[in-house]
Amino acid sequence: MDLKRVIVGVSALTVHSTKKLLLGKKVFITILVALFVAAVMGYAGSQSRDPANEGTNLMDVLILFFFMPVMAMIFGSSLIRDEIDDKSITHIATAPLDRAFSYVGYYLPLAIVVSVSMVIVTSVGMVAFFGQHSHGGDALDIYIAFVVLVTIGSFVYSALFLAISVLFAKPVLFGLFYAFIWEGFIGSLPGAIQNASIKHYLRSLGSGWVDSGDIHAWNQASDAWGSGVVLLGLMIFFIFFGAYLFREKELA
Amino acid sequence: MTPPASSPSLIIDARALSKWYGQVIGLNNFSLQISPGITGIVGPNGSGKSTLFKVILGLIKPNVGSITVLGKSPWRNSDLHSSIGFCPDYESLPVDSTGREYLTLIGKLHMMESSALSKRIKEIVGIVEMSKALDRKTGGYSKGMKQRMKIAGALLHDPDLLILDEPLSGTDPLVRKDMIDLIKRLNKEHSHNIIVSSHVLFEIERMTHNVALIYRGRAVASGDISEIRNLIDRHPHNIIIEGDGTLALAKILLDQGYVVSVAFNDSKSSLTVQVTKPDDFFNGLPALVDMARCSVTNMYSLDDNLEAVFKYLVGR
Repeated sequence: MDLKRVIVGVSALTVHSTKKLLLGKKVFITILVALFVAAVMGYAGSQSRDPANEGTNLMDVLILFFFMPVMAMIFGSSLIRDEIDDKSITHIATAPLDRAFSYVGYYLPLAIVVSVSMVIVTSVGMVAFFGQHSHGGDALDIYIAFVVLVTIGSFVYSALFLAISVLFAKPVLFGLFYAFIWEGFIGSLPGAIQNASIKHYLRSLGSGWVDSGDIHAWNQASDAWGSGVVLLGLMIFFIFFGAYLFREKELA
Repeated sequence: MTPPASSPSLIIDARALSKWYGQVIGLNNFSLQISPGITGIVGPNGSGKSTLFKVILGLIKPNVGSITVLGKSPWRNSDLHSSIGFCPDYESLPVDSTGREYLTLIGKLHMMESSALSKRIKEIVGIVEMSKALDRKTGGYSKGMKQRMKIAGALLHDPDLLILDEPLSGTDPLVRKDMIDLIKRLNKEHSHNIIVSSHVLFEIERMTHNVALIYRGRAVASGDISEIRNLIDRHPHNIIIEGDGTLALAKILLDQGYVVSVAFNDSKSSLTVQVTKPDDFFNGLPALVDMARCSVTNMYSLDDNLEAVFKYLVGR
C-alpha cells in the first residue's frame, strides 16, 4: 500500500466532494431547516416562561432527535448512490486508489458537511430562542453541549447512511424507515429496546452534559463513557462495513 | 485451438470469460488476445463491448474464465489503473465541475504534483483542442466537447493503454473525422496502445486494420480487417438502387450469376438487389446501367448495419 498515494487521493476526493456538497442543491435544505428551526424556536422563545428547560427540550427534540438523522440521511443516502446511478463514479472507480480508501474520501466530506449544517441549524435555533432571554452562561453551556452532540451525531449517522447508500439501490426508502421508524419510534419506546438506537447513546452523553430539560432528568440514560465507546464503535463499524461493500461492489 | 500461454507482449489476454447479470448474458465463453497498437472492437449494440471493457477495468468480475490486462488481473487491482485510461460511452463528467476541476481531480488521484499537473493539463487540452473550454462547466459542453474532455481525462496520466468505448457515438461527421485523426495521432505520435469500440465497421477501418468482432457476448472473428472483409464479402449483400428505368435494370440483373434476388420497394423506382459477390456487382454495374438505359440517382448498401453480417458469421 502506497501511503502517500492514499493520503493524496483521499484528500483530493475529500476536497472535491466537500465542494460538491456545499455548492449543490441540497444546501438549500440546510437553509430551509435553519429557517424552520428559527421560526419554531423563535416563537417558542417568545412565549416561554421557563427558558432553560423549554429551550433545552426543543434543542433535544427538534434538532437532536428529528433533524439530526434526517439531515444525515438526506446528504448521506445520495452522495455515492447518485454517482453510481449517473455513472459519474467511473473516474473514481478507475483511479489508482483502492476503493476502500475512495470510500473514506466520500465519508469525510459527508460527515464534515452534515456537521457544519447541523452546527448552523443548532446556532440558529439557539439564537432564536435564547436570544430573547438573559441566560448568558447557562445558554452557552447548553449550546456547547448540543454543538458537540450534533457533531458526534453527524459523524455516526453519516457513517450509517453512507453504508446504506452502497448497500441498497433505493437508500432513501431504507433511510426513511430507519430515521423515522427505528430512531423515531423504537428509540422512544420504554425499556431496553431503545438502547438499539443511535439516539439513545447521543442522549445518554447529553444527559451528563446538560443541567436542564428532560434530557438531564432522563432516567434511562446509559453510562456516558460507555455511550461514547458505543458511538465510536458504531461509527468505525459502519465505515469499515461501507468501505468493504464499496470495494466488493460491481459497478455495472 | 488452445491459445498460447499469456505473453507479456499481449495487452489483453481473455480466456473463456463469461459474465451474466441474472438472466442476461453479457459475455459468453469469450476469448480474445489483443496485441499492442490500435485494436478495434466492433459489434452491434448490446453485443458485449461495454461489458468487456468493464471486466478489463475491474469494474465487474467475470463469473467464469480469466483475464489479464498488461499482464495483471484487473479485479480489485487499483494499481493497474495507473496504466489505463478509460473514456466511457456514457456521460460521466461531473456536470457541476469545470473541465479544469475535473482534470485536476483526475490528476490528483493519479498522484500528479500541482505544477506538473497544471503543465500536463495545458498540454493535454491542447492535444484534444479543448483549451478554450477548459474553465467552462462540463454540463454546458456539446457532445463532441464532452467526448474530447473524457479523452483528455483518460490521457492525462499518460497511460500505456487507452480504452475508448464508442468515442464517435452521437458526434457529427466533422467531429468524427477529428476524433479519428486524434486517435490515430495518439498512437502514432504519442505511442499509446488503444482499444476502441464501435458498432460501425467502416469507422474502425479508418483507424486500424486490426479488429475483433463481437456478437452476442462472443468474439466471432479477429485479425486483419481485410481478412474479415473477405469473410463478410461471402455473405449476400443487400443493395438499394434508386433511379429511373429500374424495371429494365432489374431484368438484366436477374441474368447475372452473382445476383441472388431482385425486389421492388414501395416506390417502383427503388430496387433491393441481393448479391453474393459485391465486388463483381459494383464493377459490372456501370455497363448494366448503360445496357438498361436507366439513370441511377442513389445507391447504398443496407449492410452498414452489422447485425446481418454477425448473424452470418455465427451461422444464424
